[in-house]
Amino acid sequence: MSIEIKNVVKRFGSFVALDDISLDIPTGELVALLGPSGCGKTTLLRIIAGMESADAGEVSFSGQEATHLHARDRNVGFVFQHYALFRHMTVFENVAFGLRVKAKKQRPAEAEIRKRVMDLLGLVQLDWLADRYPSQLSGGQRQRIALARALAVEPKVLLLDEPFGALDTKVRKELRRWLRRLHDEMHISSVFVTHDQEEALEVADRVVVMNHGRIEQIGSPDEVYSNPASPFVYQFLGNVNVFHNRLHGEWADVGSGAEADGKALSFVRPHDIDIEHAPVAGGLEAQVQDVHAIGPVVRVELLHGSELVEVELTRERADVLTLSNGQRVWLKPRQVKVFAAESPLEEAGSGI
Amino acid sequence: MHMNNKSHRVLPGFGLSLGYTLVYLSLLVLIPLSALLLKAGSLSFSEFWKIATAPQALSSYRVTFGSSFAAALINAFFGLIVAWVLVRYPFPGKRFVDALVDLPFALPTAVAGITLATIYAGNGWIGRHLEPFGIQIAYTPNGIVVALAFISLPFVVRTLQPVIEDIEAEVEEAAAMLGATRWQTFARVIFPAIFPALLTGFTLAFSRAIGEFGSVIFIAGNMPMVSEITPLLIISKLEQQDVVGATALAVVMLVISFIMLLTINMLQWWAANRHKGART
Repeated sequence: MSIEIKNVVKRFGSFVALDDISLDIPTGELVALLGPSGCGKTTLLRIIAGMESADAGEVSFSGQEATHLHARDRNVGFVFQHYALFRHMTVFENVAFGLRVKAKKQRPAEAEIRKRVMDLLGLVQLDWLADRYPSQLSGGQRQRIALARALAVEPKVLLLDEPFGALDTKVRKELRRWLRRLHDEMHISSVFVTHDQEEALEVADRVVVMNHGRIEQIGSPDEVYSNPASPFVYQFLGNVNVFHNRLHGEWADVGSGAEADGKALSFVRPHDIDIEHAPVAGGLEAQVQDVHAIGPVVRVELLHGSELVEVELTRERADVLTLSNGQRVWLKPRQVKVFAAESPLEEAGSGI
Repeated sequence: MHMNNKSHRVLPGFGLSLGYTLVYLSLLVLIPLSALLLKAGSLSFSEFWKIATAPQALSSYRVTFGSSFAAALINAFFGLIVAWVLVRYPFPGKRFVDALVDLPFALPTAVAGITLATIYAGNGWIGRHLEPFGIQIAYTPNGIVVALAFISLPFVVRTLQPVIEDIEAEVEEAAAMLGATRWQTFARVIFPAIFPALLTGFTLAFSRAIGEFGSVIFIAGNMPMVSEITPLLIISKLEQQDVVGATALAVVMLVISFIMLLTINMLQWWAANRHKGART
């Protein structure tokens, strides 16, 4: 089932949570709503689910208007950040809940319910926990049960609100991969909300970057990362060095759309800068401040004038260079993106 | 879980505080109650049985426990609604209503009894409108239930409030997303979550009602065999210098109350723990 969102507006008092949002989510796609907290991503998800009503605009599923449809009639699965499992029910009963509350005519027989629930528990690989209570499970297990519960009613759309937000890094990574696989097997449309850009880039088919109740960019993970549409997207997705209008030579040439008078901001990713010992044409002179080896990469902090520049090198390259603190070097960019500096930059979320 | 035999706690003083607890409970509860039992022990069993099963005594037990049970049951239902409204909905004057709930705690029960008797009497503000329907409240067993419901209301409301606050809105949303109607959400998700607390509130209200004296004597009419509660029967025995007889009745009340509270407590323990499953 596809989801179409047209001109949706939502205000809480004077705070504009969603400012004229339009978005199409085609059938079968796994879409990430990415943005800093307070950007409206969760509100948008809740409006799709029917738990919140839009002040203006339309939501439709496969072309059918659903703006005023009650949440329980939308046939949408929802997974909450904090699981929202029913504490007084066993895992089995939690998953069976959606089947048991169906009207008598549509309710499957007990044996059928039993089979469906056990199949789903098998799908999330937790069939051995059927008789336990949620309080006896780990966070990762609870979230898998919550997912099985949401899938029990065979929804055409699956919505996940920061599904892995409350879990530790290792479990989170595992569940991400697993969600991706599950989504592909179930042939449903999924939308998940996250503030973790790594998560969005890794799992989603398409990423919708939001800020201040507006959509900044929609694109494939590669598109939004390599070709950000705005300074906000650039800063939100990964680390970036920002140079304020004193660029020249190769640094300014590489970018597109730079204004002649230099009133522009140049963005360069740390891994798009190379370090040379000898002066290079158009290179920026800088002094090495610090060198950290972090796993496979070596992060170098340098001072260019009074500005701090971050560079990421591969280990091989760092070994060849053998940098030491205080050394003078020259920086050469591989890729620069220039935006006209109209609006002051906003604080973006932290990078990796 | 493995623990050393001697566990180290952040706050010391377990011995001291336990000793204090025991002394305190002994002075206030155990010693007076033992004295009561000792006094009753001066009766032979057949004498005791005769006093305890006298027709007037039997009917007073019925009135006391029957109306207490009815009052607690009424409060379990309406107290749940009051607690629900106070937790879930913002409305003007909410703080005021919240404070009203506590009033029965603070008000001298005699005042409550006199007020209720006046209002619910055949010519009172409310009693006047009930009289044509043949409903009499004051000076009948109905009056006892009204008085007991009044004084035991806060127990149910105050026990339920924190538990209702504790139910995450997400759980209700989850039920709705799975297709549950409002009623199904209440019956299958919310009620099971608050049921242990409701049982606790019911128990507290019930035991408070059993011990109530002040408000009841003003509204009950105190007709022997009809609307006489056991505490009143005890007082009238004392007034006739029949201390031993009064003690016998007191012991009966003590035993029945204890058995009932124990039963309800076990029920409550079962209700609170059945969802925890076996420890693994």
